[in-house]
Amino acid sequence: MKSKILIHFASMLFITSIAFLLIVFINTNEKPKPDTDNAVELKGRPDLSFVDFSSRFQKALALDAMNAFFPGQFDKNNRIITSLADKQDKAFRNKIQDSGNKEELSLARFRNISGMFFKFLAIYAIVMLLTYYWVQTIGVWRFCRKKNGSAYAKSSASLFVNVIKKIILFSGSFLLFCPAYVIAYSLRTEINTDTVFFMIILCVISNGLLMVYSNKFYAFLIAESRKGYIDTAIVKNLNNSYAGNIAQGISFKAILNPVKKFKGHVFDNIFRNARFQYLSTIKEQASFLITGMIITEMALNLHGYYSYEMLRQMLYGNLNILIVMFLGIFYTVKATEIFTDILVYKENLKYENK
Amino acid sequence: MKIFKNKDARWSLIWLLTITLISIWDAIFLNKPAAKLVVTGFVNTIVIALLVIVFTLVLGWIAAMAEHYLQKNRFLFVLLNFFFSLIRSVPQVIGILFGYIGAGILIQRGIVPSGAAVYFLLSLCMGVFIFLEMADCIRDRIEHYQKLDFYNAMLVCGIAEFRIINFNILWKNSRIHIFNKLISVLGIAVFLQCSVDFIISVGLSKVANEITLPVTLGNLLANIDSKQDILAIGNTLTHPAYFGHLFFEHLQGVTVAFCIVFSLLCLYHIANGYAERHKL
Repeated sequence: MKSKILIHFASMLFITSIAFLLIVFINTNEKPKPDTDNAVELKGRPDLSFVDFSSRFQKALALDAMNAFFPGQFDKNNRIITSLADKQDKAFRNKIQDSGNKEELSLARFRNISGMFFKFLAIYAIVMLLTYYWVQTIGVWRFCRKKNGSAYAKSSASLFVNVIKKIILFSGSFLLFCPAYVIAYSLRTEINTDTVFFMIILCVISNGLLMVYSNKFYAFLIAESRKGYIDTAIVKNLNNSYAGNIAQGISFKAILNPVKKFKGHVFDNIFRNARFQYLSTIKEQASFLITGMIITEMALNLHGYYSYEMLRQMLYGNLNILIVMFLGIFYTVKATEIFTDILVYKENLKYENK
Repeated sequence: MKIFKNKDARWSLIWLLTITLISIWDAIFLNKPAAKLVVTGFVNTIVIALLVIVFTLVLGWIAAMAEHYLQKNRFLFVLLNFFFSLIRSVPQVIGILFGYIGAGILIQRGIVPSGAAVYFLLSLCMGVFIFLEMADCIRDRIEHYQKLDFYNAMLVCGIAEFRIINFNILWKNSRIHIFNKLISVLGIAVFLQCSVDFIISVGLSKVANEITLPVTLGNLLANIDSKQDILAIGNTLTHPAYFGHLFFEHLQGVTVAFCIVFSLLCLYHIANGYAERHKL
């Protein structure tokens, strides 16, 4: 355990050092470069930076002056004037394009980023808790449904009801696999999608997150249910019915309960062992969840939110701010990894009677 | 028929048939340039995703072998795990986005010629952030068999460890596990590629853009025509009578969005069905 935590902290330290080195490197290399274009041609020519080349009159006047001072070199003079005019125009356009976008990492900016980061963390924690709950709930529901499969088939009223159920299930899974941008754009005209509430919902239900991890949890349940100790427990007369409508079975209420306990039922052991295995996957889920959050913020065009702001800084080439923001995300994933490792370690101690 | 009993084969068939049907529908009702663009986008997406599979397999195998053989050298083993832990802690979409921007710079400077080389470069960018899943799968299989008697028995018989791992464990006893993982990787690659292309195409990178990168479903969806088509889906929620128009007047966006989601759904069912069939 100690070595795991040590590796986590070492990697945090390593990445932080690299980030700071990069920031220092960027700051020292950001001095404006001297203009070396046409350097040979401009050697010995007067400084024409005061001329406004966007004015046709001033441009023509500059060319005339050049021809008067350097006679017999009309082509060269013309080339220089055209080149200087292009350069001035390009510089002006770049200035307009970057105005208000080029930023430095000041203390005020850092505070502003920190505010966004804490909001990001709060949303991340809520989404993580919600997915943790729904992954288990959907997994358990699927497992009970499978175990009850034959009973369901017998009790089904008609083909029509079955078809409707299938359509609802298919539509549900189709929706759960929709990337956030598809859902966000589909609903944008009818619903106000620029809210934290909508973002949380979208982070939970879209990008296939719930489907992938509930399927993983379901696979853990299935694998666990095939183990020998389950057969022994059944032989020893533990409840083994998955019907929802009898006292010894598993009710829908028990499946939906945030703290899932199935006392006296063989499923309680299956569930606890599957949950133990699922805990380890939270690490990769964290990374996937953040991927989903970034996609969702982009899809919803949420200005002033952490991920959106990070990608905006990437666009404007504000590398200092970008590096600091990237560190925030890296620390979030690392913190989740450390938390998960501790959780798994504690569970291990419990099961190994240490 | 056996093909309908196997979930994986059934969903593969459903995927192929639906995409074929959509192509025919688009050929009839979508204007030619747009239809061509959609087909190109879909083909490019699948080609890049398939290349990601190749890179993931190769990189994953190299990583797993390195982890296995470096176990004897504690320092190098810790160093390798440290490096892998760093890759794991970077959310895939961010890593790939940086990779795409790097690729954009290389293409713009002419270091990488446009064409097939771009496909390889983009696939490699994605492969770097996915290969650890394959490495974990291979490592799990090796560790599982190492605990069994036959591994030690073969070693005692003088069979080379490299052959035991690669031929007896991976090739003879883990092909289906690896193949199942590759199907999942295909799904992940399609999802990540579409998402990163979408982010880039809405204008969040100056160097990596539609000009430097190939047309895929992701950047087609970010296209203004497709966006308007997708917005029209929302309109049908309050005006159900408009539903029919989606399949004639908003075909480009609807087709692109459907292809992405339906492909992800089918790949999920194919991977699940394959795992169920082989009891993985």
